[in-house]
Amino acid sequence: MFAYIIRRLVYGAVTLIALSFIVFMMLQAAGSPLDRLYLNNLLEDGFIEEVTRLWGLDQPLLVQYWKWLTNYVQPLDFSPQNIIPWIVLGIVAVAIAAIWRFAEPRFRPAWILGVVFVGAMVALRNMNIEFDWGISFNSGSTLVWDEVFSRAGATFRLGFTALGIALIVGIPLGIYQALRQYSFFDQLGTFSAFVAFSTPIFVIGVALQTYVAFRFEEWTGVKLFFVAGMTGDNYAQLSFIDQMGDIFRHLTLPAISIALISLAGYSRFQRASMLEVMRSDYLRTAKAKGLSRRTIIVKHALRNALIPIVTLVSIDIAFIIGGAIITESIFGWPGLGRKYIEALGVVDFPVIMAIVLVIGIGIVIMNIVADILYGVLDPRVRYD
Amino acid sequence: MTDTRGAGERLEELDAVEGLAVEPITQWDLFWTRLRRHRLAMVAAGVLTFMVLLVVLAPLLPFEDPTQRLLDDTGRTLRNIGPRGGILFGTDELGRDVLSRVVYGGRASLIVGGVTGALVCTMGTLVGSIAGYYPGPVDQSLMRFTDLVLGLPLLPVAIVVGRILPDVEWLPSWVGDGPIGIALLLGFLSWGGLARIVRAEFLSLREKEFVEAARAAGANDRRIVFRHILPNAISPIIVQTTLIVGIAIIVEAALSFLGFGIPPPTPTWGGIVSEGGRIAVRGFWWQLVFGGTALVVTVLSINFLGDGLRDALDPTQTIERK
Repeated sequence: MFAYIIRRLVYGAVTLIALSFIVFMMLQAAGSPLDRLYLNNLLEDGFIEEVTRLWGLDQPLLVQYWKWLTNYVQPLDFSPQNIIPWIVLGIVAVAIAAIWRFAEPRFRPAWILGVVFVGAMVALRNMNIEFDWGISFNSGSTLVWDEVFSRAGATFRLGFTALGIALIVGIPLGIYQALRQYSFFDQLGTFSAFVAFSTPIFVIGVALQTYVAFRFEEWTGVKLFFVAGMTGDNYAQLSFIDQMGDIFRHLTLPAISIALISLAGYSRFQRASMLEVMRSDYLRTAKAKGLSRRTIIVKHALRNALIPIVTLVSIDIAFIIGGAIITESIFGWPGLGRKYIEALGVVDFPVIMAIVLVIGIGIVIMNIVADILYGVLDPRVRYD
Repeated sequence: MTDTRGAGERLEELDAVEGLAVEPITQWDLFWTRLRRHRLAMVAAGVLTFMVLLVVLAPLLPFEDPTQRLLDDTGRTLRNIGPRGGILFGTDELGRDVLSRVVYGGRASLIVGGVTGALVCTMGTLVGSIAGYYPGPVDQSLMRFTDLVLGLPLLPVAIVVGRILPDVEWLPSWVGDGPIGIALLLGFLSWGGLARIVRAEFLSLREKEFVEAARAAGANDRRIVFRHILPNAISPIIVQTTLIVGIAIIVEAALSFLGFGIPPPTPTWGGIVSEGGRIAVRGFWWQLVFGGTALVVTVLSINFLGDGLRDALDPTQTIERK
């Protein structure tokens, strides 16, 4: 199991290095970022040369890449006297030891994953750690770490809401369709799923924004949803209930536009998985024993039919992140995706590189987590 | 004297002599019968044929120039005119005919879909079959490379390259600015899935008895691969390729929507939806609706056709006689 995780991590690291190398070289293929400055002909003589030397843009490409890569994983301003992360580390170590001693072997990986995840979150929040991801070329002064880190939360919120909607609606839909196979509802669901698959996220997003948010208000005078942003201007003055409402009215439309296609995927997948379980031998045994339909479906079919969806979620993560890039720029959502598009507009090397790698790391980690969960849920799966 | 002809030919001769000739049912006949029965797939095939003809023949048909503004009698530009006789889909903010922009926008989409599909089909089949047929170090290294390509997140990488392509000076302009460049990019990013599928097919097929029989009869590798294994693996290749064509069209449209695809004034469906969304808040709905519909209907047709092909190519599906 642990050998498997280590191997996956090594593969993940190789993929990430390849990803960053390709993007780095692609960006370099278009020439120096300084060629793009609008004010080039207004600058003093020698300024461009000076900045080129200062930012190391005159060095060979491979040297530049190596410097960037080593800086990327280099903590900047790490303060070991900050006590909280060390305490967290201790608690996590004790917890893992306890899990190893007391938990059922099958559930060990899930417990350890959970503890490590919570520990990492608490530690990251309290560590005041920063990585040397360079200085934004566009602003010339702000740290890339600050620009990227401050926006990760917004993308998390959007992505996980979308994933949640897709799972909560898609899975029951698929199960219901499987139980009423070939009924009108089933056929309708299948057709709608096809339509959803074939509709690009930006068409859904623009249509929702234009008609559900904007034109609906014009026609009825009722403001249901906001067109752009994550929270209203007066968010800080609102009461807690109103704050929740404000978040809801900003979050719903972008989350739905990402979720719709995933939702269709989950319902199709869940339907197929449920149908397969319903045809299995152990279900026939359960029926032959004379169990009630309810018990058969809930206790025997459902539990087993839910397992394969985990693999689909792991594939879907990359898709949801891609969707976030598009929806964030439609709905003015202040997340990583919008920053990415903005940075690309002005070809801001360090910001683009930082975000690409953050996305890559997110996908790699989520994939590994999903694979481990699959092994925990399905005892037949063994990793070697 | 021994007869060197195949048994089938001799039988046919016999049938012809005795007047008992029966038209043999080939795999293709079965395939066509099944496909024709899939009504949605047939409709989809019709829609796609219409689209392709329209897009290819567009210069010969009486469409306006998609990059020229329309003027009224007094010489004023007809901006944001709603759909009406003569201007069926209305005009956009610069007074250009939306119908002809949608038709010409389809060129970019269909070229990207077609070229990407061809590229993915060739590369995926090539890499997958080599890896599946020659186990050992060749297979290992090819599959590691495939894993690497599969690990690249499609959209983020495509956006970067799409943004950079027009700025790369040493690229010829038909690669940098046109749909071909986008298609090459998407093709190179998305052949990994097909390679894996083809490899798996080859791994299982090369152990089958009929391959062993062919080898025992003295067939060389080329004959075994092209005559015996590949025809049996054709179904997943076709299905996966149609899937990729749909995805490629969507991703190209998304790139153009974000402004990192084919640069204006060349019309693209993504660009039309992007502009259409901006002016639809003022009530000028036609660009958004017509551009979006063209895109969705095309991709939907491709997906339905893919679904029909999947069913028709599945030999385990029984076909009841009527």
